[in-house]
Amino acid sequence: MKFANLFRKELKELLTPSTIITTIVMMFVLVFAGNAFGGIIEDSVEQMSVMTICDKDQSQISKDLIKQLTISEVDEETGAVISYDDSLVKLVDIQSEDYAKELERLDVNNAIIIPEGFGDALLNGKECEIISISKMSSSATLSNISLNDSAVESIRQIAKTLYIANKGISLEDIAKSETLVTVSPITIVADKSAPVSSTLISSLTSMQSMFVPIVVYVLIMFSSQLIMTAISTEKIDKTLETLLSAPVSRLSVLLAKMLAAGTVAAFNAIAYMIGFSQMMGSMTSELPSGIDADKYLSELGLTLSFSGYILLGLQLFVTVLITLSVSLVLGALAKDAKSAQSLLMPIIFMAIIPYILSMVMDLKELNPILRIIVYAIPFTHTFTAAENIMFSNMGIFWGGFAYQCILLVICMAVAVKIFTTDRIFTVTLNFGGKKRAKKNKTLSENE
Amino acid sequence: MSENVLEVKGLSKMYKKGVYAAHDVTFNIKKGEIFALIGPNGAGKTTTIRMISTLLTATEGDAVVAGHSILTDAAKVRENITYLPDEAGAYKTMKGIDYLDFMAKLYAPDKNHAKEYVERAKEICGLGDRLFDKIESYSRGMIRKLLLSRAVMSRPALAILDEPTSGLDILNALEIRRMIKKLAADEGMSFLLSSHNMLEIEFVSDRVGIIAKGNLLEIGTPEELKAKHNAKNLEEVFEGMVKNSEIC
Ligand SMILES: Nc1ncnc2c1ncn2[C@@H]1O[C@H](COP(=O)(O)OP(=O)(O)OP(=O)(O)O)[C@@H](O)[C@H]1O
Ligand SMILES: [Mg+2]
Repeated sequence: MKFANLFRKELKELLTPSTIITTIVMMFVLVFAGNAFGGIIEDSVEQMSVMTICDKDQSQISKDLIKQLTISEVDEETGAVISYDDSLVKLVDIQSEDYAKELERLDVNNAIIIPEGFGDALLNGKECEIISISKMSSSATLSNISLNDSAVESIRQIAKTLYIANKGISLEDIAKSETLVTVSPITIVADKSAPVSSTLISSLTSMQSMFVPIVVYVLIMFSSQLIMTAISTEKIDKTLETLLSAPVSRLSVLLAKMLAAGTVAAFNAIAYMIGFSQMMGSMTSELPSGIDADKYLSELGLTLSFSGYILLGLQLFVTVLITLSVSLVLGALAKDAKSAQSLLMPIIFMAIIPYILSMVMDLKELNPILRIIVYAIPFTHTFTAAENIMFSNMGIFWGGFAYQCILLVICMAVAVKIFTTDRIFTVTLNFGGKKRAKKNKTLSENE
Repeated sequence: MSENVLEVKGLSKMYKKGVYAAHDVTFNIKKGEIFALIGPNGAGKTTTIRMISTLLTATEGDAVVAGHSILTDAAKVRENITYLPDEAGAYKTMKGIDYLDFMAKLYAPDKNHAKEYVERAKEICGLGDRLFDKIESYSRGMIRKLLLSRAVMSRPALAILDEPTSGLDILNALEIRRMIKKLAADEGMSFLLSSHNMLEIEFVSDRVGIIAKGNLLEIGTPEELKAKHNAKNLEEVFEGMVKNSEIC
């Protein structure tokens, strides 16, 4: 009986509306993320089954090869082909060597070029090269499943069969057939291309897409907690009342707080930038020898230039200022230390949703409504900033930056309003605690 | 300029529409006078005091501090008052001496004055070497002495102290009361205090105002009130008033 009584009290204390809301929102984030992944994987699978091929050879061999690629059904027992599906291969014409432009024109993300002389080389048992072009538009892990790899593998197998069929079978020939087709990979980012496989680049950038958001997340949470604790202790200790009754302007009290916090934030942002550039540096230097990843990354524009770092730093600074002003307002309106903690909730959500989403997927591929929702979260633009700069999505970067600047002005205006009127002493926020507060009040009134 | 350091005229505050937390409060404080607002919990003492300290905007009425209205001249009012909130703390990670220095620089017109303020506060608070320890290591009584010395170091025209002795033991409370009395007598400082401890306020204040449910019911010296209600002490005065008017 006594235990049940105690247990009920503890449970009631822990199961506040704010913890319940947290759980529900978390659940929705996960469901939402899962659906979004599903969509992306489906898309990739769909795309993967359609190969874009440019046949410059136009020989019997290359034609046979492409025909073999369109096999859609095979008799399990005899191995005989039952049907072909021409839609499995999209034949295109790629004339210039500016592959970035060509892929843009064709509106595809992957293509394989069978160069002239492929058929002859194959018949003569010489090395025959195909060109595999992949375009990357994001560093998010799931959007970079390489679509060409399976196509290249199929071509290898088919070429082998064709070679053997044309040669008569000897052991050497079979061994030779294994290495007949060589692939020269090309990766495209925005309008730049480099002769390196997209799988390698993707593995490099995915490291970045794992680690950078962690740092941003920590930065946001750190500065938020910092100022919220500071301001709510000032309120609870009533040092704020003392300050605001002293002969100093309230605006200067507020500005001093913001400026100090902003300085700390700037310091953080700089430290973060240094760490980030070091990380990029050591990441690429630890590759297996022989591959000059640094060179390729910079050829693709995947390294940040000096101005890129400045932009990133600026963006982070604005982000931290938004965090600080929102936290300042929330903290100033907190009733006590516990409610200050729960007031951190909205900031945690605003950080964690874009954090998870941007890490695993390319937000540009979301459906329009979800995109607007996700982009409306101001921190989304921070989590995607480095990627947007590196992948030259400057429109999205500047749009997000402008949005954040407008938000910052609004948040600052609210903060000024609250500090210069008596709202700071009359308005209290307490998520999910309203009912209890009212109950207490009626209790004390009855006393 | 009038004799009065503070003139409160019909001051009212509504937090919620229709409910007065303070209603039509009117009183004056003369130079060198110690005036105390006394009343039970929730009477409206803090509300009234916060309006005079320019922290809350008055719904109705006005208060004039040293000739400056809280409505039109809040900045000038702040130059003439100091305010010690009830249950106030100080920045815990600061040393006592640094806190005094920080606050002195907010009130002083220049560096020399700030220095003088700190010296004065050091003397008044009587904390000695403990001033060089962090405030987090202070007892409640020590913090109150530190804050009180802060509130009076700049010799404001009016020092506003909300429940200056609540939560203190008898000796500390006594010490604080003596400090206040001495400053008023020796330096002609004026004080506005609040308390719900009517016995202790009888000893320290020149005049008291009894407040309940936001209304200032009666003003007078403790002697006048005791005589009028035929009571031995203020507590009995208050009890009698409550019974008569059924306020509570
Ligand atoms: N910020 C606020 N919002 C709404 N109502 C308030 C607020 N502050 C005080 N009140 C109400 O105003 C009334 C007067 O409160 P006040 O704090 O002035 O009383 P008090 O005399 O100082 O009491 P105590 O002796 O407990 O300090 C109370 O009913 C209180 O609930
Ligand atoms: Mg009070």
